[in-house]
Amino acid sequence: MSNRLQKILESKRAMRKQLAALTFSQKVALLEKLRDRSLLIASSPLRRRHSPAG
Amino acid sequence: MKATLKVINQMQADGVLADYAIGGAVGATFYLEPVATLDIDIFVSFHKKPGSPLLTVSPIYDYLTARGYKTRKEYIIIEGWPVQFLPPSDALGEEALTQAVETKLDGIRTWVMTAEHLVAIALKTGRAKDFSRILQFIETGVLNTNKLDQILKRHSLLAKWEDFGHKFLEDSP
Repeated sequence: MSNRLQKILESKRAMRKQLAALTFSQKVALLEKLRDRSLLIASSPLRRRHSPAG
Repeated sequence: MKATLKVINQMQADGVLADYAIGGAVGATFYLEPVATLDIDIFVSFHKKPGSPLLTVSPIYDYLTARGYKTRKEYIIIEGWPVQFLPPSDALGEEALTQAVETKLDGIRTWVMTAEHLVAIALKTGRAKDFSRILQFIETGVLNTNKLDQILKRHSLLAKWEDFGHKFLEDSP
């Protein structure tokens, strides 16, 4: 594994630990933002045009 | 989600359900980094009524639909969140419910399954996303290994745990 990739993985691990250490309320606020974004993507006309049903 | 939990707490206060605990991805978020999810899994127990041996979630649906909440497939939409109410299907689920951890979400009292029970249930369920979540629990270092061992032993999951270890925790040759 290259040094660069190693650094990226370490940085991702550190970020995940930092996020895991937030309070439940802070994490739920992030979770709600993630959910809103997922719903927005799911409702995109582009996504519907390419869906098997559409 | 705060408004959703307020409604569920009110149901509890009104005696529609006895105990509840958040499981699934939202439960895991209590211990791990937040992961995108579209629904909330709520494990519930009921006050036992004599002569009614079947556990059914219909009192919950009756209560909520009478208050204007709509159903969608197996979910009921409470204050914008699809919620699935799940009575425990086995001893592991019952134990997870009774040992749930009390916490607060912006001042609202609620209960979340322990990390070890979430891992044991994920192991038993055994989908790819469950295995991925178990790995996250291990990597985050939040598990009490003695407690997890006891749960796995009590619910005959040690063989599954060993399989999981061989597949995902051992370095490839």
